Amino acid sequence: MTAPVKLSDFETALVQALPAGDLRALLEERGLPHRRVEEWKWTDLRTVLARFPSAPGAVELDASRQPDAVAELEREPGLIMPRLAAALGGDCAVFELADGERLTLEFSGEAAGHRIVAVNVPAGVTATLHEIYRAEDGALANIAINIVLGEGATLTRVIEQREAPGAALVVTSGISLSAGATAKQTTLGFGAKLARLETHVAHAGHGAHLSMNGAYVLGPGLHLDQTSLVRHAGPDGTTEELFKGAAAKGGRGVFQGKIHVEKPAQKTDAQMQHRGLLLDECAEIDAKPELEIYADDVVCAHGNAFGAIDEDALFYMRQRGLPEATARALLTESFLADPIDRLEDEELREVLTVQLKSALEALI
Amino acid sequence: MLEIKDLEARVETEAGDGREILKGVTLSAPAGEVHAVMGPNGCGKSTLSYVLSGRDGYEITGGGATLAGEDLLAMDPEERAAAGVFLSFQYPVEIPGVPTLTFVKEALNAQKRARGEDEVSAPDFMKKAREAAAKLGISNEMLKRPVNVGFSGGEKKRMEIFQALMLEPKLLILDETDSGLDIDALKVVAEGVNALRSPDRTMLVITHYQRLLDYLKPDVVHVMAAGRIQKTGGPELAMELEKEGYDKYASGEAA
Repeated sequence: MTAPVKLSDFETALVQALPAGDLRALLEERGLPHRRVEEWKWTDLRTVLARFPSAPGAVELDASRQPDAVAELEREPGLIMPRLAAALGGDCAVFELADGERLTLEFSGEAAGHRIVAVNVPAGVTATLHEIYRAEDGALANIAINIVLGEGATLTRVIEQREAPGAALVVTSGISLSAGATAKQTTLGFGAKLARLETHVAHAGHGAHLSMNGAYVLGPGLHLDQTSLVRHAGPDGTTEELFKGAAAKGGRGVFQGKIHVEKPAQKTDAQMQHRGLLLDECAEIDAKPELEIYADDVVCAHGNAFGAIDEDALFYMRQRGLPEATARALLTESFLADPIDRLEDEELREVLTVQLKSALEALI
Repeated sequence: MLEIKDLEARVETEAGDGREILKGVTLSAPAGEVHAVMGPNGCGKSTLSYVLSGRDGYEITGGGATLAGEDLLAMDPEERAAAGVFLSFQYPVEIPGVPTLTFVKEALNAQKRARGEDEVSAPDFMKKAREAAAKLGISNEMLKRPVNVGFSGGEKKRMEIFQALMLEPKLLILDETDSGLDIDALKVVAEGVNALRSPDRTMLVITHYQRLLDYLKPDVVHVMAAGRIQKTGGPELAMELEKEGYDKYASGEAA
């Protein structure tokens, strides 16, 4: 039992906004997640927010269509950030995707705001969900998004996390994959003062497939944490993860990926790769890939590697006449291309590629 | 015209202590000529190619090198490229994710911008690329592949010559271009290089063996050993080396 923490003004304002109950008691006792909480050890939300203005704001949601319902949550999330989003973000907007539909959700945070959204992909439906996250300086945008795929449903999910140098952004996604469902997720992130994209996947197996990929580019003062937990509960499921990122001087990337294979999840095939490119000295990328396997007949692997720009390739390109900065940008772009190339939707792939290119041109 | 005068260079090691590799290289290669630089392993001939093209890790301790009167050693590698230096690498570097044609076009236009010339139009570039590829038996599919990725040793050397045909350098340095080539690949590469012969181009062919020179017919042969040019002569000098080896030059005292 630890003594209650001393709350910052930011936390006190949150506590006061909450109705009496366990969440309020929990926040009062422990405060927001911070670096001494294992899951947040590289992303000290509490310390960053202690210097943020506490006045309540909102997370605006600009959706490409009206939600199908605005309802109270059926089941309360378990983690503190999505719980706060559920408690303070108003009713949950629920989108029920139709076959062939592409839904775009643009979130923008102003001051301290919360939002909760649910997306259902009914059995057999194939659809696309495109999310864009922006946040103004001084904003905390805390968003929870709950995605359920029915049997045999296919969802392409594309996430753009736009650079937000003065904001904190926490997006907690829950994805539930039914038997035979496929979720293909591609993230392109540019970081914030603090950004955390946390994804929890409940993987039913039975032919269900998860492809989760991401690229990130972090300039000076930008932080992006991508944390995921994939839990294989049933047999014959597959997971492929590929994350690649580059950090410049003063940028910080965090990758925490865990795949948990429960005992009944025999014949699971799960692969997770993370590759980091340090563009300068004083860039930082922290990674913690984990496999936790209780089934005995599985194929699971993870890999994690860091490197710098290949000096031989750099000289080769300069020898052919490319200016050093152009050569560096091109090498970085080619390093980061694979996760984005896995996105099958040509139009969205182009959108991400163009953003990646212009970010690298500006940075290098 | 390439003029190298009393060039001295040392390689920088991580420990901070350098080692002299070039100990006063003097060589003059007029435009229009093919000069071979032959020498035993470790004589400094690859270092010479890196020093001329501006690779990091070498410290110039004396002498100089000019191309058409311009001081090469004062320039960055990309400036030297724009001034006309092309090094065909002994081990061409793979660049995954960058298609060959895209790369060559970027390089060509970067050089043109640096020289204050207009960029090449897409149709003109494609026409030129098709002609160059045809000379070397390079397929369209090969041009679309990422730079040097998935190519055999011989194909990589052919792609180097393709790039040289596209970039039209004033000074073409071939660093051990014959290494790793079978006889058929050697012939194709040599034909490509011969197609690059031009009155306004100097070629420096760096090689250990006579083999490539059977096809390239140098105008002048330099023997390099112990960090210096020990002897300069005509094509017959290459034949002599093939018979007698480098032993008599190895000590550096034969000159």
